[in-house]
Amino acid sequence: MRSTPRLLVALALVPLLGGCFSGAGAGAGASDTAGGRLRVALAVPPAQALSPYSNDATALGKLCVAEGLTALDRDGAAAPALATSWTRQDATTWVFRLRQAKFHDGTDFTAASVVNALDHAGAAKPKPRVLSDVTLTAKADDAGTVTIRTKTADPVLPLRLASPALGIFSAKAYTAAGTVSPLGTGTGPFKITKLTGKTQATLDRFDGYWGGKAKATGIDVTWIADGTARTNALRAHEADIAEWIPTAQAPLLDPATRHEVSSVRADSLILNTSAGIFTDPALRAAARGAVDSSALAGSVFGGYADAAHGLFGPAIPWAASRRVEVSGRAQAATVAETRSKTQGRTLRLAAYTNRAELPEAATVVQQQLERAGFTVQQDVREYTQMEADLLAGRYDALILSRVTLLDTGDAVAYLASDYTTNGAYNIAGLKDAGVDRAVAAAAEEGDTGLRQQKIMQAEAEILRTDAVVPLVHEKVVQGIGTNVEGVVLDPRERSLITLDTHLG
Amino acid sequence: MADASPWRAGAGRVAAGSAMLAAVAFLPWLSGTDPALTVLRARSADQAPTADQLAAVREQLGLDQGPFIQLGRWLGGLPRGDAGTSWVSGAPVLPQVTSALGVSVTLMFATLVVTIAVAALISARTLSLGSRRRLRDRGTGAVAASLAALPKFLLASLLATVFGVWLGWFPPGGWTGPMSMVLPALALGVPTGAVIGGLLDHALPATFGEPWVRTWHAGGFPPGRLVRPVLRRTLAGVLPQLMPSVVGLVGGAVAVEKVFDIPGLGRLALDSALAQDLPPLQTATLLLALLGVAAGLLVKALRHLLLGPALRDGGLAAPPPPALGRRRATGWALGGCAALLLAVCVAGLLRDPSHVDTAARLLSPSAAHPLGTDALGRDMLARLGHGALRTTGVALAVTVACVVIGMLLGMAGAAGAGLTEVLSAVPAVLAGLLTTAVTGPSVWGAAFAVCLVGWTPYAAQTAALLEQERATGYLQASISFGAGPVHLLRHHLLPAVLPAVARNAALRLPTTILVLASLGFLGLGEQPPTPEWGRLLAENQPYLELAPWTTLGPAGALVLLSVLAAAGSSARRPKRRRARVHRPVS
Repeated sequence: MRSTPRLLVALALVPLLGGCFSGAGAGAGASDTAGGRLRVALAVPPAQALSPYSNDATALGKLCVAEGLTALDRDGAAAPALATSWTRQDATTWVFRLRQAKFHDGTDFTAASVVNALDHAGAAKPKPRVLSDVTLTAKADDAGTVTIRTKTADPVLPLRLASPALGIFSAKAYTAAGTVSPLGTGTGPFKITKLTGKTQATLDRFDGYWGGKAKATGIDVTWIADGTARTNALRAHEADIAEWIPTAQAPLLDPATRHEVSSVRADSLILNTSAGIFTDPALRAAARGAVDSSALAGSVFGGYADAAHGLFGPAIPWAASRRVEVSGRAQAATVAETRSKTQGRTLRLAAYTNRAELPEAATVVQQQLERAGFTVQQDVREYTQMEADLLAGRYDALILSRVTLLDTGDAVAYLASDYTTNGAYNIAGLKDAGVDRAVAAAAEEGDTGLRQQKIMQAEAEILRTDAVVPLVHEKVVQGIGTNVEGVVLDPRERSLITLDTHLG
Repeated sequence: MADASPWRAGAGRVAAGSAMLAAVAFLPWLSGTDPALTVLRARSADQAPTADQLAAVREQLGLDQGPFIQLGRWLGGLPRGDAGTSWVSGAPVLPQVTSALGVSVTLMFATLVVTIAVAALISARTLSLGSRRRLRDRGTGAVAASLAALPKFLLASLLATVFGVWLGWFPPGGWTGPMSMVLPALALGVPTGAVIGGLLDHALPATFGEPWVRTWHAGGFPPGRLVRPVLRRTLAGVLPQLMPSVVGLVGGAVAVEKVFDIPGLGRLALDSALAQDLPPLQTATLLLALLGVAAGLLVKALRHLLLGPALRDGGLAAPPPPALGRRRATGWALGGCAALLLAVCVAGLLRDPSHVDTAARLLSPSAAHPLGTDALGRDMLARLGHGALRTTGVALAVTVACVVIGMLLGMAGAAGAGLTEVLSAVPAVLAGLLTTAVTGPSVWGAAFAVCLVGWTPYAAQTAALLEQERATGYLQASISFGAGPVHLLRHHLLPAVLPAVARNAALRLPTTILVLASLGFLGLGEQPPTPEWGRLLAENQPYLELAPWTTLGPAGALVLLSVLAAAGSSARRPKRRRARVHRPVS
């Protein structure tokens, strides 16, 4: 009989455990004041305490915390940021003039800071993604000038330096262990004052910013990995901005809060050219003919995607005008030929669950391929569970979602890693001399216009092999409260909040 | 009797815990997937995994040393309060794991409150009628079975939408204060409370039939005075079910944690398991195992407190044959559910479940599509019908296997108890990961993984009921007449345990279906687009608000199945028990 009071006592302890709540109250109350604090719900929780050498770098860019020497403008060209101008002295030598700026900790931004930052990035292990194909050394000429040399010619160096992974932080940020902490060490208009695990961060306006004062007084960031939960946060007015609204949730948003932008993310069907059914070019061509990507864009992606005509979509403004006609493709096998050629062999179609649309796309593609005479078996798993199998070529076709402009903001890095013989992410197992030549030619080209042309020539070469069937170019839906002004819709998903973003 | 060997129980716990930890520590080496690759992915997606990069990660983490040295170093650090640093983030593990544990345990207590409330409501009718001695029949159990069949993640989505977004009464997500506990606790607690309540409701009539209750009643005790001692007697058998049902939620509420964006231990463990980030995974596993043991000891202590000397001195009365008839409604429920399910299945089987029609996307129910279509324009009725046989077949097979394993281990005494405690807090997804590590993706993998951990409720129940049964007078009388262990088992113990376990299994059947489907992302189980009820619910969860019919059909089918199973599990009971128990007592 003593049990009941004891149980009550135990239950009464529940509120005492409330110390475990993460306190969001601190900033939330202030959001009503003029200018206001922005409440932002981001999608990808920090993996490495916002280290610029990890995935987290994009958050530093989106939240305007860190800056590099350069930035990308709307067209994807390099624009001044911490450097005011630059000149290319010879193939491997560049000189950057720096502006006067201050770090969040009050110290001055100088040429020495640039050298220190780039040295640390180069020495980081594993190497940051943006430096995977280049080695650079920086030298301070005087307090306001830096010379950067690359080991081999790198025509896109100014674009590369815009990567948030090469942001410049104050000396305090870099530890002996090789880690970098952006907390209070960046140069952007907002400084991080507090990071709570993988769930929250508090940012305050940095009044000493060289470009003037930001309109918002601060940012309260919440990371919400689940897309529906993010949408709910916006709909319940718990967040002012929620990025990446899933296509299944987008129709539920008030149209005034729903903003879509073409992204550089492309979904394609990768065919394994090195083993299995699709070593036969005629069957690859048959698969290409079978896939109807417009059915995908309208259904699985709910209209938030464009049917793909090539590897590069509408988010890359010059792609459509410079597109090269594909020629020399193999003759597609007919349905009967496909049946006889694949006799008894099942096409293993892989897709991963990390992006909700991909398994649905796989089911649509499966039906399309089956109509063309293939027998299809799906293999749908979490990405990390299947990556080793993918790299080892243990599949026939894969629905892959890929960012076509990686950190360099330049398409060559993607083409080289995904489609060349020695590419590290060559899941298609493509070994084609024509493709290798075309990609190498594009990589060497320094002139912007010619480089774009050569990139599109390489695209045509790759499409000729039918190693990849482009499906759709995704659109990103950003949820932005009606009271928020000045949010940037960036196809490269590098920026979100700027100096001008504020509550109206 | 079980107390005679407390240290055998301790040894069982240590052995089970060590085996669990060792399995986790060897995960990357078992799976053959390079942890350098998964760690690199977790840090930096889209990065080309060149040999140099992987070598750098390997060197940084000391992966070349192999699992033994890694595990040794981690264990060595524990006494100093150092659980190592995360391979992915490089941050110390202990603070993040303990804060996640704090969140999950807080949520667990809130869930416990809801569980108790729901269980009380469900058993209220029996309790009130029984205490007035007006209990003529058992209820249909339909309410308990229906609530127990509600998928937690679906309930979570529904609550978040209705009370979080539409009405704005509670925050739709996050973990910012006591208010944000309400919806997750309801989502977790209602189905759990229904299971516990269903078991309690099922066990109460036996207690009301015990001679002392009659005596008390005849002695003029008011009905209100009867409630407490009756509950006290009955709860002792149900309490162990809180272990797998409520304590298991600390690590096993991943789906609900996702919906409400709660930084709990389930998500932390899953994320680190997928990235093969061993230090946090090992720490989480250790804490979960310790939690299981602590909860097990607490439950044991509570039971002894409830039954007290009766348990020790063999003073429990034999539960007499419940002479209660079946309510006519039970028969109706049974027949109605069966007919409806059969109709849906037959109608569905006549249609094509995998025909994708992107033009017929998310159509609401109509003559052409009686249950509507899903996001790919597939007919929901067809998918439901084609999934029925496979879903129920696999779930029943798994349940039977779990019941058999559970009863065997439940009878195994102290050593089995240790294993039960340790595993009852381990989430099924961890078993799934270990299974894929060994077998790779496979159709039977999901069933196997669920069997690995799914037996704990039945083992705990069997052990508790046996302990009580052994303390009954009639059993001791039987022993004194020279009954051997086989006779005891066949004629007394099994008949006493089986009906309750069957009821438990019936109430847990929907959960089993959902857990089986939840392992799909590891490549375990049938691959899509094979229709399976669990998968139907999971893949249509995002469309809950946009097209509610896509989840309504499968959820309804699950409820029907659950009611059917619950009604079925209590259908044939009374006769057999009367025949077998009477003889030795008289």
